[in-house]
Amino acid sequence: MRIEISGLTKTYRGGVHALDGLDLDIPTGMFGLLGANGAGKTTLMRILAGIVRPSAGRVVVGGHDMASSAGRTAVQRELGYLPQDLGVYPDLTARQFLDYVALLKGMDDRPVRRRRVGELLEVVALTEYADRRLRGFSGGMRQRVGIAQALLADPRLLIVDEPTAGLDPEERIRFRTLLSQFAGRRTVLLSTHIVDDIGHTCREAAVLARGRLIFRGTVEELTRRAEGRVWSVVTDGPAPSEGTVVSALPQDDGMRYRVVARDAPSAQARPLDPSLEDGYLAVAADQS
Amino acid sequence: MTTFGASLRYEFRMQVRKRSVWIVPALTLVLFVLIGGSLLRDLFDPGERPLDPRTGVVGLAVQLHALLAIGFGCLLADRLVRDDRLGVAPILDATPASPAARLLGKYLGAAAATAVPIAVAYFGFAAAYAIDTRQPVALAWALAAFTVVIVPGLLLVAAFALAVPMIMPAPLFRVLFVGYWLWGNIVSPEMMPTLARTLFHPLGGYPLDALFGFHGIDGEDTWAGPVTGATFNVLRPEPTPVLAWLSIALLLLVSAAALAGGHTLRARRLR
Repeated sequence: MRIEISGLTKTYRGGVHALDGLDLDIPTGMFGLLGANGAGKTTLMRILAGIVRPSAGRVVVGGHDMASSAGRTAVQRELGYLPQDLGVYPDLTARQFLDYVALLKGMDDRPVRRRRVGELLEVVALTEYADRRLRGFSGGMRQRVGIAQALLADPRLLIVDEPTAGLDPEERIRFRTLLSQFAGRRTVLLSTHIVDDIGHTCREAAVLARGRLIFRGTVEELTRRAEGRVWSVVTDGPAPSEGTVVSALPQDDGMRYRVVARDAPSAQARPLDPSLEDGYLAVAADQS
Repeated sequence: MTTFGASLRYEFRMQVRKRSVWIVPALTLVLFVLIGGSLLRDLFDPGERPLDPRTGVVGLAVQLHALLAIGFGCLLADRLVRDDRLGVAPILDATPASPAARLLGKYLGAAAATAVPIAVAYFGFAAAYAIDTRQPVALAWALAAFTVVIVPGLLLVAAFALAVPMIMPAPLFRVLFVGYWLWGNIVSPEMMPTLARTLFHPLGGYPLDALFGFHGIDGEDTWAGPVTGATFNVLRPEPTPVLAWLSIALLLLVSAAALAGGHTLRARRLR
């Protein structure tokens, strides 16, 4: 499902501009969305999910114009959505919660629905806990329930907002793999703060800042944006003041800093090969 | 299953499992009996109870309705806003299910679940009374009183309990609702302006008077119609069966309007 966004603006009450004339094309396949807090990622996803109306601009998903009620409903029939800060009904069991959401998604055939719920509980490794109330679930287990509900109706468009938050490293890797396998000829829009997740799953990505698009291209192109701008600095003095410190690793002779900066932060700085995270930070730094 | 059916079924299931839905009416009844709730005792005292089974069970309906509707409204006050509070709303809103059908299912499902203990208490007392007096017809009168007096009143309370917390915190609604309920049902219209004895009276004054001929246990009270010197007498015509049905229709209409208001408010928040 191709997504075409043009001039998309969202201004909340109080005059907060979440999106400011955004233009973006999202093709079929996995697509990553990066940006700092408040960049507008969640607002964009909520608009694409049909739960927030834009203030201006146009969004067409799979040929359906989201400006009309019929268009939004048509998209929602093909949609799986995992919101940030997912909530569940604590009084229901995992199986009941999934059954309820499946019914709202129009899965009327009971045997089909029950089979699908069972399959997805298996996929997210919750079969053993399927009939326990969600009240007792940990954050990671609830997140897995959220992932299962997003996949219920075999959606052609999957929108996932910070899906790996709260998952342990093994669960995270398993979910990343699941997303990649799921993508195929579908569209998966993945928004995350964990740049590594994008690097492992997406061919293309976009970076938002203050409601605007500041990068759109392949993951390799994003990485290359930091070429010649990544440095290793070992010092027992203060952290480099130039550029963005990516990491700090204690050494015998001081601290080893990885820094993204246009120029070498010190005479002893050694150039390094850029990573995707460096590319993202370089793009973000260019805008600030 | 339709959106309405799914919402009704799961909202009922979630609400009926809440311990407070059972504890609040049970405690209310116990307290009422302890502080001297006369009719609940008198119904089983051959020297005190009304001879006519209709008067007995309709009087019981009035007492339980007036008493238990308070907890009923308070228990429903978080039902609509909790989807946002729990963070479930985005998942539900992203489905193709009609929001209006979802709201209607939630309203009727949660209201029905919260009314179950009231029905259990009412029909339990009515059945005990029918057995004690050997008058099974009392159960038929109980069913009629529950349907035309208690249900419309509870539907009105439920609609406001769902909708009003969209514009104020649920605890504040609960305080205001208890105040309204006491003012609107207990305070005499001669003392200050109230909706008591009007066509909009949620205790069902017009059906009680015109459909059941109920004038209190001792036959000396009136439940509907004009009150000398009271305001809003334009809403208190002389009771007739037609006006009794009109009163029920008005309660349902106001309920629908309150729900529609809640629905509109929620939709506007998404814009």
